[in-house]
Amino acid sequence: MANLGAPGKTDSDITDELPTFNVENMQNNAKIIYYSRTFMSIIGGVIAGILGFTGLTGFILYFLVMAITSVGLAAKAGFSVHSYFDGWNRIILDGFLGGLLSFVLFWTYPYDVS
Amino acid sequence: MEKKEPWARVSVVGVLGVLLLSHAAYSTIQYRSLLKITDEQFSGPPINVVMELIAGLVLCMWAALTVPGKFLSILPHSDENRVVALPTNLDFMIFNHRGKAFPLSIDAK
Repeated sequence: MANLGAPGKTDSDITDELPTFNVENMQNNAKIIYYSRTFMSIIGGVIAGILGFTGLTGFILYFLVMAITSVGLAAKAGFSVHSYFDGWNRIILDGFLGGLLSFVLFWTYPYDVS
Repeated sequence: MEKKEPWARVSVVGVLGVLLLSHAAYSTIQYRSLLKITDEQFSGPPINVVMELIAGLVLCMWAALTVPGKFLSILPHSDENRVVALPTNLDFMIFNHRGKAFPLSIDAK
């Protein structure tokens, strides 16, 4: 295929304005983040229940677990986030509060067993 | 190595982490019932249970990061995203779409 683009503009100029991504892989990566965060929310809930946290302390534990998960996910991506996601927000903020309800559910299970 | 969906895969590390947490939960329940007998307040599980919880958390964290699968590159020009074969249903493919706005380029590797 010959380059029939407009004269004066190189190919890389045009493709730089329109970033294209492999969508299937983007969805795969988002799915992985979702699974990881959900699982860690549940584990965090169980731990909060076992330790007998009540009130604010439990939520602090939730945010701590989510922050550690964010760091773990960034490490899994080798800290070169831009080859797997379209921004740092995806890996750090996406799904942060999504596991909150699962956390509270599993938090109340062991806390109630006594 | 067969490829299964992430929710169907189970790792030894994950199972071990969950077992550690269950054992910690069981120990805490026993500890609490003991406190009930001596009529004391529950301020926190004993230190070995806390150690067990931390170990279980670390193992589960490892399982949560490795079991769901690897990250795949989203860059269209990376080595692992090379298009190496044409689809077989070419007769059904339409080319009269917005992709005409992209410039054509020769990118032989």
